[in-house]
Amino acid sequence: MTEALLPEGFEDLAPFVDWALEPERVRTAKKSESSMEEIGAFYDAVMPRLEEIIAYLDGVPGGDERPAPAQRLYLMSLSLVEIANLVEIYKRREVIEACDPLHFNPQQ
Amino acid sequence: MKTVVRDKQWAEKYPDLGTEPVPTEPYCSDEHYALERDRIFRRCWINVGRVDDIPEPGDYFVRDFAICKVSVLVIRGSDGVVRGFHNVCSHRGNTLVLDERGSCPGSVYCHFHNWIYSDTGDLIRVPDEENFFDLDKSKHGLTPVNMDIWEGFIFINLAPEPAETLRDYLGGVADQLDGCPFHEMRLMQTYKVEERANWKVALDAQNELYHLPFQHRLIVGDAFVKNDAGHIRFQNVNLYNHHSVWSAENNPARTLPPLEHLLFAGDDRAPVIRIPQMIGEFDFFVVFPNFVLLLFDVGNSTSYISYNFWPLAVDRTIWEIRMHFRDPRSTRERLQQEYFKCVIRDALQEDAFAHENIHAGLASGAKSHVILQDEEAPIRHFHKVLEDHVGFYRNG
Repeated sequence: MTEALLPEGFEDLAPFVDWALEPERVRTAKKSESSMEEIGAFYDAVMPRLEEIIAYLDGVPGGDERPAPAQRLYLMSLSLVEIANLVEIYKRREVIEACDPLHFNPQQ
Repeated sequence: MKTVVRDKQWAEKYPDLGTEPVPTEPYCSDEHYALERDRIFRRCWINVGRVDDIPEPGDYFVRDFAICKVSVLVIRGSDGVVRGFHNVCSHRGNTLVLDERGSCPGSVYCHFHNWIYSDTGDLIRVPDEENFFDLDKSKHGLTPVNMDIWEGFIFINLAPEPAETLRDYLGGVADQLDGCPFHEMRLMQTYKVEERANWKVALDAQNELYHLPFQHRLIVGDAFVKNDAGHIRFQNVNLYNHHSVWSAENNPARTLPPLEHLLFAGDDRAPVIRIPQMIGEFDFFVVFPNFVLLLFDVGNSTSYISYNFWPLAVDRTIWEIRMHFRDPRSTRERLQQEYFKCVIRDALQEDAFAHENIHAGLASGAKSHVILQDEEAPIRHFHKVLEDHVGFYRNG
């Protein structure tokens, strides 16, 4: 039997597992190359499940010990944080007066 | 402390600052830049990193200090002591260590002729040594750089004889922050942002809150307490000898965006860990010339960000941003930190965009002076300290 992509109870988030990315720069790049529709769909799917995700992750080992399906869920929650300002605050890319997000070069 | 929203309170507190416009020439003049190099960056104590950057013996980092054309090797020796050296081989002057950071337990070697130095700076091996003329290895170790450490922050000083000790130089900042548990907060992320702007354009743009409700109106425009007209007032401003700090009070009436609300509101939050050394709720210390320490609370624990503004040329700067948080005690706390990191980062991306536009306007020469209001008093103080050091107008 192949390992599940995501932990039991979170299988419905599988269509968004391509947001399970690290490190930060890769999540930022995914944000930059995704359409607002794609970003909105990801937000709408994961945001209502975030409390459940937090509770689940607190119940499994963390760091390097975290099982792969849980790790994907964790990285998806970091991606949710990555795109939240775009969805909740800016709403449209046109209103942003900022440098290219990828110009901020995370070193580690 | 409660924020007083009255107008012109800082000019009243610090009448020596004056109220005059500030000249724009120091942002753009090659001559001023050369004086900054000689009279500031070659004389003042400059933060180059933290002891936590090199925790193990043999760990090192190299700081390319471009304005002074100096490369500094900071290395923790086998004896556990952190030392600073010019990153230059004693043989023919080659740059010794080429990578920005790493570990070289025991020794470092030059790529040119394989001269080898101990991690405490002594020259220990020279290939074909017998073919040199009276070579005394004990006289040709690495050239030390004046270095001192305060609360884990490593500072260097390029003056042959520094005018003051680091502790005396830091003065009121150290008095305020001595004992602050910086070592309990771990570096989570470093950004190095290269900008086409003078280093002071970038620093000055961060050194006030007047711009928040405008430039950052969407993302952090409501972060701090304002007066009835919607303008932010500092909670406090302290001016030290070379340095300054302003504080701001978080706006208790701010409407939280949905994710922030979910992550921070109510729930079983971990016990509060606050830092007694803080003055207000958001403290922005400017350590002259180019170092900033920014202390603030994320949820229930205090965090800090540091900025180093590294001049590359009169119109080019690397803005180094380092974000530090306590080890998260839960998934929620980890996500709270990620949230703060992303909000601040996104706001600073607006700043980085603005810095280049401001520099372009200043460099056009259209304006001889910039005009500062009372809530921009920390900038006025900075430029006074700048001129005290540079003497651009005093001598000219």
